[in-house]
Formats: sequence, structure tokens, C-alpha cells
Amino acid sequence: MFPLDSPWNISFAGCGFLGIYHIGVASCLKEQAPFLVQNARHIYGASAGALTATALVSGVCLGETGASIINVAKEARKRFLGPMHPSFNLMKIVRHMLLCTLPADCHLEANGRLGISLTRVTDGENVLVSHFNNKEELVQACVCSAYIPVYCGLIPPTLQGVRYVDGGISDNLPQYELKNTITVSPFSGESDICPRDTSTNMHELRFTNTSIQFTLTNLYRISRALFPPDPMIMKAMCKQGYKDALHFLKKNGLLHFNGPHRDRPLLANSKDKEEYKNEEEDNNNDEEKEKPLVDDGAVMIHFSSSTEKQFIEHLPPALHKALVEACMERKSLTQSLSNLLPVRMASAMMLPYTLPVESAMSLTLRLLEWLPDVQEDVGWMREQILKILQHVLRQASKSISQQVSARFSWQLELHHYQSLPSQISSTSLFPSWVNGSSSSVLDVFMRLNQYKRQLLSGVLCINMDVQGSFKSGSMSPDKSPPSIHSPEGLTMVVVDILPAANSEKPSAAPKSF
Amino acid sequence: MLSWVEDSSSDPFPRVLVQRVMSVVGAHGLVSSVWGYVDATVRWCWIPSWLPSWCPTSSLQLQTAEDRMLRCVESAFSKQYVPIANGKQLWTLTFSSDRVKDRTPMVLLHGFGGGVGLWAQNLDALSQCRPIWAMDLLGFGRSSRPRFCTDAQGAEDQFVESIEQWRAEVGLESMILLGHNLGGFLAASYAIRYPSRVKHMVLVEPWGFPERPDTAEADRPIPVWIKALGAMFTPFNPLAGLRLVGPLGPTLVQTLRPDFKRKFCSMFSDNTVSDYIYHLNVQIPSGETAFKNMTNSFGWATRPMLHRMDQLQPKIPMAIIYGSRSSIDSSAGSSIRESRPHSHVEITTIRGAGHYVYADQPEDFNHTVLQVCDQVD
Repeated sequence: MFPLDSPWNISFAGCGFLGIYHIGVASCLKEQAPFLVQNARHIYGASAGALTATALVSGVCLGETGASIINVAKEARKRFLGPMHPSFNLMKIVRHMLLCTLPADCHLEANGRLGISLTRVTDGENVLVSHFNNKEELVQACVCSAYIPVYCGLIPPTLQGVRYVDGGISDNLPQYELKNTITVSPFSGESDICPRDTSTNMHELRFTNTSIQFTLTNLYRISRALFPPDPMIMKAMCKQGYKDALHFLKKNGLLHFNGPHRDRPLLANSKDKEEYKNEEEDNNNDEEKEKPLVDDGAVMIHFSSSTEKQFIEHLPPALHKALVEACMERKSLTQSLSNLLPVRMASAMMLPYTLPVESAMSLTLRLLEWLPDVQEDVGWMREQILKILQHVLRQASKSISQQVSARFSWQLELHHYQSLPSQISSTSLFPSWVNGSSSSVLDVFMRLNQYKRQLLSGVLCINMDVQGSFKSGSMSPDKSPPSIHSPEGLTMVVVDILPAANSEKPSAAPKSF
Repeated sequence: MLSWVEDSSSDPFPRVLVQRVMSVVGAHGLVSSVWGYVDATVRWCWIPSWLPSWCPTSSLQLQTAEDRMLRCVESAFSKQYVPIANGKQLWTLTFSSDRVKDRTPMVLLHGFGGGVGLWAQNLDALSQCRPIWAMDLLGFGRSSRPRFCTDAQGAEDQFVESIEQWRAEVGLESMILLGHNLGGFLAASYAIRYPSRVKHMVLVEPWGFPERPDTAEADRPIPVWIKALGAMFTPFNPLAGLRLVGPLGPTLVQTLRPDFKRKFCSMFSDNTVSDYIYHLNVQIPSGETAFKNMTNSFGWATRPMLHRMDQLQPKIPMAIIYGSRSSIDSSAGSSIRESRPHSHVEITTIRGAGHYVYADQPEDFNHTVLQVCDQVD
């Protein structure tokens, strides 16, 4: 059913900590339909999806990746405020994780195949980065793509000298509009691989291309995207991803496409079967999961041989083991002690006292870590502040000029022209000003005309009086013409400009009077 | 609402306690009076005369929006109100060139919250081969918006009868019935009742076929606050929120559904589509209320069509079109095929399309439909 004769892509949606779902999907694709991953023209990803896409392209063990996502989530859950606690530095952990797990030559594999969605800070446009010169650049691209402003920090990271933030802000599901893109999203909605909730609610919303159906489960998922759930729930999500991907493969007739590749995991799976059995029993989630699977089997009768079912019930051994290990660790003594209600209550009550201390400590730590980048970042911040100030000033002056009458602004400009010579040297500036821009001279004449008319009509006399006195106050004394005692600014201006105007355009001068 | 009640009944002690406390404090009366006030306010929100002042809409604006939607349709067509019983009328577009007059006409039924304008990318291609009749369903679009029966059966009957009266009025002997979403459900219901009028059925992403599965979402831990939120929204119409926000509505549609603009980007670069959808859905919610009465919780049909598939005459052939990414479960298609072993049931999945197949991949959709219709004549 799926057209394998034309090139296809895989696109992973950004989803924060729900990225564990992608690990399940990726491991299923890799194991059940390896050709689908190997021959995909591009593998795209945004935010958390970029991490899975990178892992998939560079051939890293997905179990390890999944385990590290769970470890990060555990790290985030450790503290009372979760990921919002000041001592939790997500970007540092992610960078460290990527540097450890990715092989040194990963950028060669990724070049041209991996597409990471980023949002450029300067104009908010989406950028799909697919060329990486070295491993550091690839890691940095992943970090940029996962950098949710405010949640992760305030100064956006750079890639190749440009500042970027989370790709999910501009395009959360890259290239979804292509017909042959396999879209993967942990939110139920209109994606090729996504959970199917028991709701036929047709209403959905689109968050930068990701379709999210209005269901209660999706609401729960959204609430958990940035505040990770319990590791066991994350493991269940991973399993859900595996199941949904399998469903997709079945529906498109891709499951039996590549015979020889299936044998190896099959053997490994049956060997380790007993081992899982014990773990399955104390895992309530898994038992309930098996129910809908039977339905799946009933629909696709021709697939349901006894060996096939094992694929459905179990994640790949390596992934399963890594996830179980990642979930296990929380049973240590200190952990269980701190989970007791009185201890938790005490820590919550102590929060007003402990939080400032911890914040100060983590702030110091961050400042120390920041030291190498200080110069660059401060420069960037100054640049940004200047830009913002300029923008604000421009906006302000624009709005002022709109609100205040045009007369007033003209007068101000005139005043500006006049005060200029006083600052430098009137003799050197005056001719060049006149010669350089004859149009400005014409402007002045036009304004003078305008003034004359206004003066004649006599309606706005008072207004001009006020402006005139304002001007005379700010004039430098050495340049003030003899007519400065006059209450009207107009007289003064005319006297000053007239000689220049006469020399330039004699025909225009009488007209202005 | 259901889930909350289930929760409290499973644990009777706190419930009794809460009730006792409430009766002592007199909070029960307070709660019910507050609820009554909210209910009255919301009902007041739906008063037709008051509506336009809050929501920036009117039938004239809907007409303008529809005209803009149909501006890109190149074929000649006529627009008219077709009168049916009790002074109601259905808004109808007719494409009938002399070349194709003698072929079986095709009737397009739009889905929930839709209208004739949404077929803009399909009308030209489809009308090349046969006459096309597209109408706004009763209670939707520019058709009359009457008060429907409050029970599922009654509302469905009203819909189906309106289609039959419309058919008699425009004088079609038989037709190919194409329905999307709710239209697909109604097409099936119509074909069961008036089999002689339907030559072929095309269901596009039909709603309301499978039954609500028994396995509720118990396998996932849903916190209480989310359940409470769900219970809060249950009594309201699906799109009540859109009317409630009033002047913010058009912006809301644009923000939540930027995909519609994208679906029609070959025709319009501005907000034509979102405006059209907004004006379609903020008028008097008549069809919408009927739809709500035909569903139980979570959008499942009260009277699932799969149970009635055996009543459909085996001689009526059927084509079902799904979008590969849609959230509508396409396994209903194979269930239909199983329930009709002696009939022609053909299932097509269109790649890269979501629920609005005809707008997501118009070329593929038109091609598929034309192929299906070629089997008729």
C-alpha cells in the first residue's frame, strides 16, 4: 500500500518529554521494517523529535537514548518544582547526553539526510538545517532545536554564528505537507503514526502543523510534555509508540516486506520471553494493554500467528531492558525515604528557606559555566537591546508625529536645522547644506509658504507663539539673530534662511514672502 | 459528566459525606441556582436576535464568504433555494452542462460544520463527467435552521426526510450519493430508507459507523482535574465556545485551524476559508444541536450505522474513501465489507490526507471519485 517506488521521508514532531514515544516508534521501524529507515530520503525532527531523528540517523542504540530520556525526566522530577527548579539545567544535560552517546563520525551519516527544524531568533522564520560540519555542530543543532525560550533559559544558543530557539515554535512537524512523509506525533490527531484515542471528536487544533485532537487524553499529554510524568508512564508511552508504529506497518502492508531481517529479533525475543514475564506481572499497565491488541489481531487475521504476537507484546529486548533499568533506580533507600509523606511535606514547608539558597548556589554555578561565553552573549544582548531601543524610539517618534499636528513637527525640524550651525561652524556648514540638497531648500520654502498662510489666517497664532518662545529658549546665544526678542519664531527663521535661499534660487525667494 | 459520576459512585462514603455537608450548609441549593443562572445565560447567548451583536456574523456575511469561496470555480453553475416541507429550504448549487445531462447525477453531502463552499477544489473536476448537485444540509450552511427533534432517531429522520423532499423537488430519479463525515452517515441512512433512489454510494471519511468501544480509557492515568474539565464541557454544543467568544471568533478559527488556509492555498492566500468556516458555524446552532443529540459522549454515534448495514440492499454498490492520516478509524471500512459479503464494497485510502480528504489531496480525491463513478455509467 505504501508506495516504496517514490522517495519518502520520516518526520518526528516536537513534544518535550513525550519524546519517549518516538523512541518506541523508531525502534519498531528499525526492527520490523529496517528498509523504511535506511532508505528514507530524509529524517526530519523538531525539538524532542530531533533527538530521536538524530539517534535514528546515526545508528545509536535506541535503548540507550530512551533510558537517557527517562533519566532526564527523573532528574526533572527529583525536585519540588520539577523542571522549573533553578538547579535543573536541561540544556546542559541534553548536550552532555548527546556528546556521550553519539559516535564521533555521526555528522557524516547525518549530512543531507537529517533535517532539524529550528526557529531563527532574528525574524522568527523556520530553518531546516541538514548540513553539519562536525559532531559539535550536530549536537548544537539538537540543543538549539530543543531550546524552549524561558523554560530552558533566556539567552538562545548559537549555531554557525546564528541564534536559534526551539523549532516547534515555527514548524513542529517538518515537511508534513509532502504526501510521502510518514508523520509521527505522540498526540492523537491526523498523523500517520500517533495514538488513537477512543473518541471520534472531529475537532482538532493545529499547533504549527501538528494536529492535536480535542480529547481528554491529549490534554493530559500536553500537560505532561514539559512536566514529565512517572517513569513507568513514560515506559508505557514508549510501548504505545511501538504498538502504533506496528499498526501503521500492518495497515500499509510493510510488515512482511523484508523476510531475512525478521529472524534475528524473533529469536532474541523468544529467548528473553521468560525474563519479561516476571516484570510484566507487576506492571499493571501492560496487562491492560494486551486487551486492545487482541482486537488488532482479529482485524488483521492473516497476520496473527503466535510468533507475531510477541512483537506486539514486547519491546525489543535491548530497549526493554534499558527502560526497565532506568525505571528501577528509583527504589534506592534515599529515594524511597524522600518519597515518604512527612518528608515531602517537610521539604515543601522548608521550600521558602531552601529555595533561595539553592537558587543562589545554582546561579553561581551557572555563572561559572557561563564565563567562557560571557563576552559573546553580552555582545549579543547589547545588540538586541540596542535594536529594541531603536525600534521603540522609531515607533514612538512615529506615533508622536502622527498625533501631534504636522505644523509642530515641521517647526521642530526647522529648529533642528538652525541649531546645527551653532554646534560646529556656521561658515563651513552653511554652503554645503544649501548646495548639497536643493530639495530641502524647496522644502523650506514650502513650509514657509504654509506658515505665511497660517499666520495670515490668524487662527493658530497662539500655538505658534508658544513654539516660538520654546525655540528661543533653546537657542545658543552666540547665534541668535537680532530678531530674537520677537515673540514669534517665524520671523527669526525667515531671517536666517533668506540669504541662502536668495543665493540659490532668486526666483523662489519673492514667492516665499 | 459520566466519568465523574462513575468515580463518585465507586466510592460511596465520600459521596454521602459530601451530600450531607452540602445539605447542612445549604450549598446544594446554591450550586443548583448558580447552575441555573449559568444555564440561562448560555441559553440567552443563543437567542438569534441577540447573536449578531455579539458574534460578528450575519446571513449576508455568510453569503459573501461563500461567494468568495466559489469565486475560483470555473464551471458554470446555478445557485438556488430549493423549498421543502414546512416552508424550509435547502441551499443548492447545480452544475449541469448539456454535454453530461443524461448521466446519473451526483449529490454531494457535506460534513458536520461544513457547507457547499468546501467542495471548491472538487466541483470543477467532478462536474466534467456528470451533473453535480451540492447542497447545504438542513440546519447547516445557508439552508433553513429549524429546531430538530431532541432524540437521535427523530433528528436522523428529519435529516433523511429533508434530503428526500429535496430530491423530489428538484426531480432527480436516481443519484450517486457522496457524503463526507456526517453526510456519509446520512447517505447510508437515506440509502437504507430509499434504496431505489441510490445507484451508488460514496462514503468519504464517514462518521458514526462503529460503536463506542467498551474499553474506556482506563489504561491511561487521567488526573481528576482533566476529568472534571471534560465533565464541564459535556453538556455544551461542540462549537458553543466559538459563539461564546464572540468578536474573537474569527481570530480563534484562524489560530486553531491554520491548516484550512493551507488546504486551500492553491486558491486563496487570505483568510477566505477560515472566514467561511467561522460564518458557517456561528449562526443559530440548529444542525449542530441535532448532531449533538445524535451522539453520546466523545462523539460516538448513538445509533451506529454498522448495526444497520444488513438493512441496506445488497445491490447498492459502495465506495469508501479514507485519508491515511485521519483520526477516523478506517477499520470500520473493513467491517462494512464483512457485513456485506454479497455486495460491491471498495475501500480506498488516500495518502497524505487527513479528515478533509477532498481538500487535503484534491487531485487524488477527484481521480478516485471519477473512477468510482465510471462504474455507474
